[in-house]
Amino acid sequence: MADKRVTIQATRYDPDRDSAPRMQSYDIPFYDESMVVLDALNYIKNHVDGSLSFRWSCRMGICGSCGMMVNGTPKLTCNAFVRDYWPRAIHVGPLNNFPLIRDLVIDMDDFMHKLKSIKPWVIRKQELPLGAGEHRQTNQQIDEFRQFSECINCMLCYAACPVYGLNNEFLGPAAIALARRYNLDSRDQGLKERLPVIGDAEGVWECSFVGECSVVCPKGVDPAKAIQQTKLDTTMRFVLPYGNRD
Amino acid sequence: MATEIDMPSPHRGEGQGEGQGVKEYRWRMPANWWTRTRHYFLYVAREFTAVPMALWLIWLLYEIKLAGNGPAGYYPPRSAAFVAFSAVVLLFALYHSYTFLKLAGVIIRVKVLDRSIPPRVIVMAMFGAWAAGSVVVGFVLIWFAR
Ligand code: SF4
Ligand code: FES
Repeated sequence: MADKRVTIQATRYDPDRDSAPRMQSYDIPFYDESMVVLDALNYIKNHVDGSLSFRWSCRMGICGSCGMMVNGTPKLTCNAFVRDYWPRAIHVGPLNNFPLIRDLVIDMDDFMHKLKSIKPWVIRKQELPLGAGEHRQTNQQIDEFRQFSECINCMLCYAACPVYGLNNEFLGPAAIALARRYNLDSRDQGLKERLPVIGDAEGVWECSFVGECSVVCPKGVDPAKAIQQTKLDTTMRFVLPYGNRD
Repeated sequence: MATEIDMPSPHRGEGQGEGQGVKEYRWRMPANWWTRTRHYFLYVAREFTAVPMALWLIWLLYEIKLAGNGPAGYYPPRSAAFVAFSAVVLLFALYHSYTFLKLAGVIIRVKVLDRSIPPRVIVMAMFGAWAAGSVVVGFVLIWFAR
């Protein structure tokens, strides 16, 4: 094990010097079977080249900040084992479909705006007084939306979505899944406030069901399902005579 | 003593952040994006099947118009090329229908007695309805063509 080595080809981009991203190769020790791509990047940063920039935090698939393209596929690098690629070289790039700030760091501004636009919080027409106690939910009521609440905002689904790549006005998979999460929540009454955004031409109707978002999602959120279900629901609201009732 | 400094918010949606005022490299989708994964390719193939199907249906409308003058002067197309094209379109239609009906299990949520019907049952019901519909249409066509 001691002398096993792995080649990491990382995308480099320095906005002050480079006009376009370039590739840099690092040959580093593959020191442990449990080594993940993020470990390899940290090895490079600590021992070889301190200027390599990338985001990470939890190292356990929870914070959603270490998403990158690993050999062309969007992955959480803390969850991508080097042993699954070795002995081939591993190419690590910034997430597709986003503007690049530096090296492996993308600009997530657009994503944050989109998340905010669907009002991802419980909206009540009238707040219950505090004295009314908690708003209880049954297990069935929680199961309605639980899957869509597992999202960690890693943006892998946006990097996998060619529709977003071709038109970044598209609201996108995670934001729609999150909207559905709140619309299905028995405590929420905000559907009508979210409808103008999710029912828009750049909302669910921009999706042509490639389905790759659900393939790459590390949390099993299945945003493609959320989008198609929302298409059906919004259509029903439109067609059925009682569709627009609350 | 701690000094308060004006830190840029990590929440770029709130208005400030890392990329501000910095030259960014804009992402461009390469023209060959759909050849990059099998999944993308199958998606483009699925979408493409709609084009020959649309052409065939336009042709069908044209034939219906021709047949509108009565059976005496109507000669249905019999060329080998047309039959081959129709066979290919049929395959495309089957593939398109298959992908669409399989999706029904994902989209449709039906509850009976407060319990969700499993997606598999919904998909089976869809394929059942499809088969039944095809039998009815086939029967009507053959019956009237006799
Ligand atoms: S839906 Fe999945 S892939 Fe998309 S941001 Fe959420 S966790 Fe990541
Ligand atoms: S470092 Fe937190 S998800 Fe990978």
